[in-house]
Formats: sequence, C-alpha cells, structure tokens
Amino acid sequence: MRMDLSDQALIYMQIAQMIEDDILRGVYGEDDQVPSTNELARAYNINPATAAKGINLLVADGILYKRRGIGMFVSKGAVEAVREKRKNVFIEKFISPLLREGAALGLSAEDIIAMIRAKGERKDG
Amino acid sequence: MDKCLCAQNVCKAYKDNQVLSGLDLKLEHGKIYGLLGRNGAGKTTLLGILTAQNRLDSGSVTYGGEPVWENRRALDDICFSRELSGTQYSGTNNFRIELYLKAAAMFYRHWDAGYAERLLKEFSLDRKKAICKLSKGQMSMVTIIVGLASRAPFTFFDEPVSGLDVVMRERFYRLLIEDYTETGRTFVVSTHIIEEAAGAFEEVIFLDDGRIIEKAPTEELVSEFAYISGLESEVRKASAGLEVLNTSSVGARTVCAVRGVAPGFAPDADVDVTPMNLQKVFVALCGHGDEM
Repeated sequence: MRMDLSDQALIYMQIAQMIEDDILRGVYGEDDQVPSTNELARAYNINPATAAKGINLLVADGILYKRRGIGMFVSKGAVEAVREKRKNVFIEKFISPLLREGAALGLSAEDIIAMIRAKGERKDG
Repeated sequence: MDKCLCAQNVCKAYKDNQVLSGLDLKLEHGKIYGLLGRNGAGKTTLLGILTAQNRLDSGSVTYGGEPVWENRRALDDICFSRELSGTQYSGTNNFRIELYLKAAAMFYRHWDAGYAERLLKEFSLDRKKAICKLSKGQMSMVTIIVGLASRAPFTFFDEPVSGLDVVMRERFYRLLIEDYTETGRTFVVSTHIIEEAAGAFEEVIFLDDGRIIEKAPTEELVSEFAYISGLESEVRKASAGLEVLNTSSVGARTVCAVRGVAPGFAPDADVDVTPMNLQKVFVALCGHGDEM
C-alpha cells in the first residue's frame, strides 16, 4: 500500500491532520499508541524529521503525549482538544471564504444564513 | 563522531568556464539533503569536489576538520556514486555489473555485500550483464546499489533517478528513507524531478551559476513563498513589506510571487493567496525570467 500526500500543503501539517482525523474517527482511542516517526516516514516516503515535526505539533497542542523510550500516545480528552482546534480552523477555512465569496456575489451574512438554513432543512426532511 | 563535511571558498574553472565561484557549504551528519540546480549550474562538479574526485582551483574541503584530498581517513567515510555511461575513457564500458560491485566492495570500507545482493534482486538486475548493455534506467539502478550498499556516513547521489520510471523512482526514495531511518547517515541527492522528492529532503540546497543561493529546511523555505493575485492595486497593498520576486499580469489581474510570508498570512486586501510547492520555489529563485 502506498499512501499519498498532497503536494500543496506542508507535509508536517498533513501528518498532524491525519492523526487528528484518526483520533476523531476513533481509530486511536485515549492512551492508544500512534505510529512512530520512522513508521510514518516509511509509510509516506517522507523525511523522519518532517514526520517528527507533525507529531510535535500535536504534543504542543496536548493531543499526544510521549512515553520515554516507548512512543507517542493519545492524551486524555484528545477528541475534545481536536474538536476545539478544528472549530477555529473551521472559521478560517470555511466561514471566512464563505463570507468573502458571498460578498463577491452580493450576498449579506443574513442571506447566507438563510441559505444554510434552507439547505439544512431540505437535508433533514 | 558526528563529523561535518565543509567546503570553504571553493573555486573551480574549466578553462574559461568558471563553474564554482567562492562556494561555501556545510553538510551535517544525519540529514538528507536535496541538491537542486539547473543544467550546467555546477552540481556534478560540486559533488566531485566535495568527495575529492575532482581537483579544486582554490579553497578547501574538509571532513571533521581534515582536508579530504587524498586522505584515506576522510574518504573511507565518503561515497560518490557517479552516473554510469556505456563508454569510459576511449572504449566501451565492458565491465559486468558483478565486477563493478566487486570494485566498489574493495573501495568502500563500510560496504554491505548482503545489502547489495538484496538490492540486485529488488531491481531484477542480471549480474552477468555488461554496463554498456544496460538501459539508462538500469545504469541508474547500479549507481543506486553502489551508493546505498556503500553504507558510507556521507553518501552522494548524482541524478540517481534519471531514466527510472515513476514506480522505480518512488522505490528509490522508499529505499533511501528506509536506510536512513536505520542508519541515520547523510545523503546528498541531486535531481531535476523535484516535487516527488521534496518530502524526502530535510534540507534543500539551491545551486545557481556556481553559487549556493539557498540552503534551508525544505518546508520552512517553501512556506515563506506564495502567489498573490487580484487587481494590481490590491496586490500591491497585500505585498507591501514582502520581497516581490516577479510579477505578471493577465488583463487587469496581476499575479506576483512573493517571499517573506508569515504563517497564517491573510492580507487586508481583496486578493487570493496561493501557496507554492518546492518546484515553484525553485523556478521562482533559479528561473531567470521564466518564472511563471
């Protein structure tokens, strides 16, 4: 199996995001061990230093913790931490462009909210 | 014993052609470097000089503080796997693969014969075949075997993937990463096929017109660059304070390549910001007018 990374975004960010995705989906639960930097390096054909950078990003965010000599593990409350982090990203990545594109089309925030509601209702019904 | 390989103020000319001019470079132990440069930038000459296979006109190359030239102690730790060709000196290269590898085994102190065997199988090479009968890609495979099996603490590859198909190129980088995670030795790899190699390089070195114009951690370097596009006045506003590398316009729309972008760059102007990849950064810095 060869997994591929996009060449558009920074690789270490993609590594961090993939692990976050797996935590959200329950692939890794609390206190589960995540792949080592060398395993990630081999799986994605990337430099181990880059993989380590992605892992360290998650340690800094309190999503992973290190057990000396054993490896990296998922912190308690990691799902919440990822959700909280993703909410901020959600605003930056989806809400801001949505408002910008809306403004270009002459839509106010109110118009957009109405459209979202209509879309949501249709989906529910 | 973490020794560095250092070049200081290296100059080299072939007759009137000044190939390297006052080049400084420090290669650390335990990193994979990508050496990128356009045709004729001096990559092969530089690799030859760093590994004491070419003479330099002035300057110095040292390993752990000692000159590398004719220094057994230094050369024991250094392997330069040169590109092979079907001819050598004045005749055909009739060496069989097995003889070529035997010569390499005598030459490289850390040679790993078992590893060379495994690689021969992995590449499905016929050991009895003469070098001159190999395809371009198969010649590259032989140079890859020599470089990897040398197990030299500093190993240099010159265009190791040239002539290889995409499957074999990916396999090469996989082998490289595998060996690197086991040994942590230093690799320097020159290539023109930049993007698929970018992830393997901890640092990249840009060689342009005989000088090193950039040497930096790959992702840090790439994240400094971006394209800003939109109306000219808005682009100008957004790129204020940034280094503008080049600008082009299509109708009223202006696109400029900039450097100096901070993480989370979101200018207060009506523009689109697109990240670059390593290949685009290379073209922006070494393109000399062919930037966009």
